Amino acid sequence: MISVRDLTKKYSGKVVLDLPALDIPQGQRFGLVGNNGAGKTTFFNLILDLIQATTGQVKVNDIEVQKSEEWKSFTAAFIDETYLIGYLTVEEYYYFLGNLRGISKEEIQAWIQNFEPFFNGEILNQKKYLRDLSKGNQKKAGIVGALIGKPDVILLDEPFANLDPTTQIRLKTLIEEEAEKNGTTFLISSHDLTHITGVCDRIVLLEKGKIIQDIKTTSKTLNELEQYFSN
Amino acid sequence: MNSYTLVDSIQLAKKKFFRAPQWEFKLGVKILLGLLILYFLVLFLLFGMGLFHFIEKKLPGTDPILVLNQGLVYYFGTDLLIRYFFQATPVTDVKPLLTQPIRKSTVVKGVLLRSIPTIFNALPLVVLLPFCIVFSINKGANISIWSWFAGIIFLSIGVNFLIFMINKSKKFLLFFAFFFGIGIGLEKLIKLPLLSFFGKGLDALYQEGYWLGIPLLFLLWSVHTAYQFLKRQLYLDKGLGMKRGKLLGENLNLFDRWEEMGVFIKNDIRLILRNIRPRQVVLAGGLFLFYGVLFFSQDQYKEIPAIHILSGLFITGGFMLTFGQYVPAWESEYYNFLMCQNIPYKKYIKSKLYLIQFSVVLSTLLSLPYLIYGIDIMLNILATALFNFGLGGMITLFSGAFNTTPLKLNVKAKAFENTQNFSFTQLLFVLPKLLLPLVVFYIPYYFYGYHAGIMGLVLTGLGGILFQNYLLNRIVKMYQFRKHQTLSAFNK
Repeated sequence: MISVRDLTKKYSGKVVLDLPALDIPQGQRFGLVGNNGAGKTTFFNLILDLIQATTGQVKVNDIEVQKSEEWKSFTAAFIDETYLIGYLTVEEYYYFLGNLRGISKEEIQAWIQNFEPFFNGEILNQKKYLRDLSKGNQKKAGIVGALIGKPDVILLDEPFANLDPTTQIRLKTLIEEEAEKNGTTFLISSHDLTHITGVCDRIVLLEKGKIIQDIKTTSKTLNELEQYFSN
Repeated sequence: MNSYTLVDSIQLAKKKFFRAPQWEFKLGVKILLGLLILYFLVLFLLFGMGLFHFIEKKLPGTDPILVLNQGLVYYFGTDLLIRYFFQATPVTDVKPLLTQPIRKSTVVKGVLLRSIPTIFNALPLVVLLPFCIVFSINKGANISIWSWFAGIIFLSIGVNFLIFMINKSKKFLLFFAFFFGIGIGLEKLIKLPLLSFFGKGLDALYQEGYWLGIPLLFLLWSVHTAYQFLKRQLYLDKGLGMKRGKLLGENLNLFDRWEEMGVFIKNDIRLILRNIRPRQVVLAGGLFLFYGVLFFSQDQYKEIPAIHILSGLFITGGFMLTFGQYVPAWESEYYNFLMCQNIPYKKYIKSKLYLIQFSVVLSTLLSLPYLIYGIDIMLNILATALFNFGLGGMITLFSGAFNTTPLKLNVKAKAFENTQNFSFTQLLFVLPKLLLPLVVFYIPYYFYGYHAGIMGLVLTGLGGILFQNYLLNRIVKMYQFRKHQTLSAFNK
């Protein structure tokens, strides 16, 4: 689904990302871990063509993101709260996204009812602007927004941060269900090792822009990662 | 505990300025602005100096002070109104200081002190000081003129602190408008001198110095109340918290018929309704409608068509010039998000163009009363409207591709702060918006006269409409080409 070749990004001569080759097959729940400055967000921004690569290329579904914009029709992302439009209500924001992804208002209205437990009664019908929601609720609203229209690829940056424990667990279930039901490819970055090993079937560990480990998640993975980060 | 001083606060402000993106350019703008302010300062000084002789000449035998006093109530009224809209009361700036070892009283005093050096407070000083000096020279120095002067300054600075308390209250605005309206109404209709009481009070100040106690009390009261008020506001759920906005523009379903374009237009309308900054800018754009009153009524401009053309461009393009010039910076807060959505660029740009064109049509309709200045004026307005409709909007959007200063939507702009979003490239693009129409007017005008010039504008506007699709494609190309530069600038 995603293939990366010779991808590097330099800022004033300093390499911040260097990925010779990386392939993420369809339906994979791909986890990205690493300390601050490891290059996680840079990688996401390159996939979304928000920054230009110094060398190399990213292909999503065989479409080279730097050359064509076709990838936008089946890719969604929630990176941070700047991915919300602060002066809209949640519903208006979803209708907007629905419209861009070819889903009618009525379909959205029916579809978001499924998320009532996830929203915990604090998001829908609040008559509040998104900018007036709490950080956690903004995150919930944004994550669900990324699911609208069943995109093939979804990128989530730190989805577990700021969420309450109940919602963290619900989010894990949600991601697993979406991946299974629709074959969605998830790219998730997180500092939360427990959650990311719990939800992803593959973990890539980045440090200073380079892949240090690329592992299929097993029951031992969490331990290995904790070992690595404690050194 | 009192180690945080005014010096620190100024140093923070200095860092904020020099570390802002494009600060070198902003420095240039500040210098220009400084020169402009200096110019006005000198102008007002001269005005103040000349005022005495002017009144003496026009109304011989009267005391200039008593004449002035009658008008000062309107001055204070306008002053209050202008301050209400434009004087920033930066209370939220102090949030990071609250958890530091600084006394709340110090923080509040800092806020109050920093509010004094503003244009609004300088104005009476700059005008009245020379006035009073000239007065003293001519009439001999006496204590009464200076007690009058001190009284006015006390009142003016008192109003400065009053603004802290009324800044957030719409009720006050309504009350004020009501009171002032009734006052003027009664005065004009049945000669009930309500507002003149204020003038009488000022007279008393001048005639018997001990009345100075009242403005002094007012000043002390306003300082004290503002201090108490601000101290109470220093909590997250009070003045420092974000106020929850009331929901506006919920039902805009009528735009749904335009599908994707309708969605964008709906968003833009909500952007304007629901955010402080765009609201301010759009209101300013509305004021452009009155541009003609200044110039069409003056006979001396009759022979200069350039003045009329420019007036027409401003009248019909107020929204285009004020709101339009910040496309796409209006959406800088979530530009990352927009750029990874499946948004057809062309529809996005086109929706902005429609919005601008709609505003041109609306302003043109609203400018119909200018018909009282004659049919030629109206023709001129219609022709410039057509130019703005056909080409002006497109030039505005094209220049937007070079707009690289992000904008905070829900923050009130200070007076003159709009200049911070001003860049040299933007300035360059003002030229085609205003010079091009002059050129297409003047060439035919020179050879064939006024109506040929008007035709020149009309044809250019029509040309813009005819080639709209082609031009839009060029604009879209430019936006796509500059995408990453714009993104990196907006993310700063």
